[in-house]
Amino acid sequence: MAESLLSECTPLKKEYDSCFNAWFEGYLEPAVSASSSPQKYSEYSQRKAEEFQQKCGKIWEGYRACVQKALKEKGLDTMLQQSREENPLSRPPPLPPSGSSSS
Amino acid sequence: MKYHSQSFFYDDPWSIVSLAYFLRYPNPYASHIISCDVISRNVTPSGTLQTTRLILKRGSLPRWAPKGIISRAESWVLEESEVDPLGKTLRCTTKNLEYTKVMKMEESVFIRQTEDGQTAQTTEARVLSGFGWGLTKRIESHGLNKFKAHVQRSREGVSLILSLLRESRLQPMTLGGEPSQLNLDPNIQESKSVSKAQNSTWARLKGWVSTPKD
Repeated sequence: MAESLLSECTPLKKEYDSCFNAWFEGYLEPAVSASSSPQKYSEYSQRKAEEFQQKCGKIWEGYRACVQKALKEKGLDTMLQQSREENPLSRPPPLPPSGSSSS
Repeated sequence: MKYHSQSFFYDDPWSIVSLAYFLRYPNPYASHIISCDVISRNVTPSGTLQTTRLILKRGSLPRWAPKGIISRAESWVLEESEVDPLGKTLRCTTKNLEYTKVMKMEESVFIRQTEDGQTAQTTEARVLSGFGWGLTKRIESHGLNKFKAHVQRSREGVSLILSLLRESRLQPMTLGGEPSQLNLDPNIQESKSVSKAQNSTWARLKGWVSTPKD
């Protein structure tokens, strides 16, 4: 099941996930319309980012520290690094634009 | 290299499908997911949300898999996603981190809102084997067949989460949030006390999902 990679991080992960999910639900339905100016939306999204930081920032730091330590211990940090360096499949052809119709 | 793409639609609005997509682990159709961790997450200057998750999957190896090359049936995969709530799109790419010389497999999911308020999902896979020894084609075909079966199960998993979300949204509270102060109806009062016992709708949702009835 969706545990953390290290069991001692799992309680922190669950706490973080709950905090994130509550925030994410609101983030998905922005209180500004798509027609509003990019600047207005940018301000709005920065407010949402700050709100997330305020609500979940501390929990995230604890969870992240636990996972980072686990990654080092298991040698997974080098694997992640390597995957960022060599990446022949990473440029997929562009997907159809969201406006295009498909039937 | 082999390529495969398929599309389907959900009747639910984009925001709920995207939420379900993020909540899809754990679900009974994804019992192969052993662990799932957020490695990084940030809101970009343009307002999108980028997330990187590291996932450990349990898999089965084909009988003809070269012995000694792949030592165990668990593998790490990296999932990178970007959510744009204004444009109503979600992109998510998953790729294997190990045994990439044997096979590189990358799955790209694109979820967007259609003009009529439905949600469309396109899933693409690219499989590339550099193994040689006459096995390249076989490895690539195997990877692609696994992918096709996986898309169906993944869709069933997301649909299950969607139906649970729909059910929970009929009740006056949000996921993980405080229960609403509206209590117009004694039945709602009752459901509030249930939710208190289990902390949140989110906790209850997880409870349902991890103990399937069938």
